[in-house]
Amino acid sequence: MANCRPRSATPNNMKISRHKVAGVFLLDRQLATKGEALYGERTFDGYRLWNPRRSKLAALLMKQAQVPLAPEQIVLYLGAASGTTVSHLADIVSLVYAVEFAPRVARDLVRLSERVKNIVPLISDAAQPDYGPVVELVDLLYQDVAQPRQAEIAVKNAELFLKPRGHACIMIKARSIDVTAKPKTVYKREVKKLEELFDIESVHELEPFYKAHAAVIARLA
Amino acid sequence: MAHVKTWFGDIELHNDEIVRSQVLKADIDAMAQRLQREDFADFDKECRGRLREIAIKLQVVSSELEYVSVLRAVMIQSAKERIVTAFAQPDARIIQLIDGIDDIDESINLLSERLSEWCLLTSETSMPEDLLEAFVSSPSAQSPLAQEFAGSISRLCELRQEIANAIELEMRTTAPNLSTLAGELLGARLIARAGGLGSLARMPASRIQVMGASKALFKHIKYGTKPPKHGVIFQHPLVRGSHPNIRGKIARILAAKIAIAARLDFYSKRAYPELLSQLEKRVGELQTAERNPQQHEDITP
Ligand SMILES: C[S@@+](CC[C@H](N)C(=O)[O-])C[C@H]1O[C@@H](n2cnc3c(N)ncnc32)[C@H](O)[C@@H]1O
Repeated sequence: MANCRPRSATPNNMKISRHKVAGVFLLDRQLATKGEALYGERTFDGYRLWNPRRSKLAALLMKQAQVPLAPEQIVLYLGAASGTTVSHLADIVSLVYAVEFAPRVARDLVRLSERVKNIVPLISDAAQPDYGPVVELVDLLYQDVAQPRQAEIAVKNAELFLKPRGHACIMIKARSIDVTAKPKTVYKREVKKLEELFDIESVHELEPFYKAHAAVIARLA
Repeated sequence: MAHVKTWFGDIELHNDEIVRSQVLKADIDAMAQRLQREDFADFDKECRGRLREIAIKLQVVSSELEYVSVLRAVMIQSAKERIVTAFAQPDARIIQLIDGIDDIDESINLLSERLSEWCLLTSETSMPEDLLEAFVSSPSAQSPLAQEFAGSISRLCELRQEIANAIELEMRTTAPNLSTLAGELLGARLIARAGGLGSLARMPASRIQVMGASKALFKHIKYGTKPPKHGVIFQHPLVRGSHPNIRGKIARILAAKIAIAARLDFYSKRAYPELLSQLEKRVGELQTAERNPQQHEDITP
């Protein structure tokens, strides 16, 4: 019998290549990770497309190959929201501790954790971490909380949970920190605050995917 | 000697050796409950790096894989409890009710548009409001299907009223000062926008003033007025009822009073009726000044 359903397969002419970061792929020029669809994203032949306009990490990976991600890593992720980015990150690394405090989005995050075996949901305020008895030493601190006090929150969590010389990847949304200042000024100020604890490795603006956003890659000093 | 309290039990370490321990054996519920109940102190990074190893040594789990799967189960359980608790807070209920109103408004809007398009074929009126009345009062003039349609819309309007009543009740007990000052519905909308009464109480007045040009405004939908561009507090009668020249000023004063009201409600819930009279007095002064502009006019050379 003929199968009339559209097939979710790689079209013959699509070129699959590896991104510099293991676990990340490029289907033609579209970013993807391996796995089943989890939030309605399109899939091709076992690859989940990852939209750089819906995820700052995807935007960063499109702009910059040198992101400190590796298969064996344990990640502490602050500001998980409903878990869009977390779901892809979980395809790349070994375990994600995902922190989110807003109950409405947290509900989706918990649903996601029930489906994906390497996501541990933590419903907590990252500014007052109460997950001390739970979280192990982590290789990477990822932060996307869009908060005026986010540098302070990153420092606090790194002090508690980040392994010596561990990496941090910190997303800055200029408008959530200071609406009146120029984005570049905001990035500089935030970097300055982070230097208290980290060596800053690089700063990347996320244009054209995100306006007035930047990613800071840093390392525990 | 180091005392380490972890999610799977209490451990005492001496020179990196476990000297005493009391652990829970893979009882997910008991573990989740203990996390909610007890106080935990932070411990050093040395121990944090050894959590898996210690759990395996103490036979809480038999492998790293099992460590992750048990921990994940415990945290999912505990996350669910936290979410339920968060939603049971009165301000969370208020937010849900406001969301309900917004959803209904959106539906009414959609259905009304459909109905009016439907009826443009037969009738002159284009305002959904009038149409709805025409339908309900003279059903015989219209097709049965369109009648059903209109009936659904008016039932949605009734439901909206019921939800509004529930919000008023909740607001009067949860945020009495905010209710007096802003009105229950506007107050509730501010709480929803801020993400809770606590967040609203911590917000500076300048943020409150520009907060959310709300998406699905009933007025806008029902009467086709322009959607407000200046945040929710422009819906307040004192702002809307004033001359455009002084609206900005009044909004600023109102936001300042709302900030105080939210703090009072969050921290004490004692009613301060003076807030409203102070506000009305200030607004009265501004309105008088606006009506008698000669007092302000510069003498131009
Ligand atoms: C920009 S969104 C994150 C989007 C998400 N990272 C993604 O890419 O899918 C920021 C999230 O951080 C959360 N957040 C902000 N401050 C927080 C805090 N102190 N603790 C925990 N979560 C926080 C917010 O509730 C919100 O869901």
